[in-house]
Amino acid sequence: MPIKVLAFAGSPRRHGNSETLLDWVLGGMIADPDVVIEKVALDEANINPCRGCNACEKLNKCIQRDGLDIYHDKIVDADIILLSSPIYCMGIASQPKALIDRAQVFRSRKYVLKLPVVPPERRGKRLGAFLATAGQNWDHVFNAAIPSVKCFYHVIDIRDADISYLMINNVDEKGAIDRHPTARTDADRLGKSLITEIKKRLAG
Amino acid sequence: MTIKVLGISGSPHRHGNTETLLDSFLEGAKAGGASVEKVILKDLSYSPCRGCNACHKTGECVVKDDAITLFEKILASDCIAVASPIYTMGITAELKGLIDRGQYLWARKFILKTLYFSDDHIKRHKGLFISTAGQNWDHVFDGAFPAITAIFNGTGFEYYDNIIANNMDEYKGIKNHPTALKAAFEKGQKVVAVLEKLNAS
Repeated sequence: MPIKVLAFAGSPRRHGNSETLLDWVLGGMIADPDVVIEKVALDEANINPCRGCNACEKLNKCIQRDGLDIYHDKIVDADIILLSSPIYCMGIASQPKALIDRAQVFRSRKYVLKLPVVPPERRGKRLGAFLATAGQNWDHVFNAAIPSVKCFYHVIDIRDADISYLMINNVDEKGAIDRHPTARTDADRLGKSLITEIKKRLAG
Repeated sequence: MTIKVLGISGSPHRHGNTETLLDSFLEGAKAGGASVEKVILKDLSYSPCRGCNACHKTGECVVKDDAITLFEKILASDCIAVASPIYTMGITAELKGLIDRGQYLWARKFILKTLYFSDDHIKRHKGLFISTAGQNWDHVFDGAFPAITAIFNGTGFEYYDNIIANNMDEYKGIKNHPTALKAAFEKGQKVVAVLEKLNAS
């Protein structure tokens, strides 16, 4: 069985620091022949913001027809879901915030309609990781992003303990992450460890 | 001089809990003698920040759309009330999209040093955050504050107050909240009085 990895690159700047970090994590996975990776640049994915209409609480689907129609099913199917974002104004960028808010359809399914998001046999067999970069050197620069990211993973049935984080501050201009002493090694290691862990889970 | 109060509604949902709370604040400000305007973000046309950093060199945004016009309006106001419901522990994508577009002002302040707000200016410009959340957690607004701080800092406004009400799901809407709407009205009246007093000094 292939291991399906779905990777959302949340930055509007292609191939900048946060996407590079994501690519390094994927680089730690790709050598494994069982791994199938799909990477999506959110800026090009045509995912609108949530309208707050709450129709999904009754319909079990979103009334908007856009890019999420495709990624909804892929989110359900994936074994590992990665999300990367730069920190803008102390939070995630608005493109990944739109994706996260649109996950409301999963929240409605799970908590309002009490329906399964993934089949029961796949629960606990999904992993998530959040990759972020920030120009600021403050340690607390990622704090406001994390609660939204946790919401995203919780509603798509990835447990708190199954979310990994790799967040690199003090990288601002394009390419700055290349000069970071540990980011590349840590990202590669994270990619490898996620694959090792998911194989264990899927075999169990 | 009449105090100018600008309300910015970041909700995609017209006349919902957050916009109703904002309306109450603006009515209070009007009753206090201010001229009041409300902008609905979802009716404007602007794109998110592209992260191109061109503004770091020029101090101008390469994207010319309604966001720039709105920032000009913000800079010409004495008081701004920035409103958003809490969606997944943060502000809406619409409001975050706008706030991120303020990067050109940040560049003017910190890179190009062509924009400076004196302490006196900041004291005379008050910013309020208005929000509602379905959840009853006290910490449900925590993820929103840093981005709100960013827009107030970038535009030269003092982060004056919050008008926030959680637990909307249980109250079945802001209209059933025991104190929020009245408190918002009073805060609207009060901030205008405070600004008038500052302007007289």
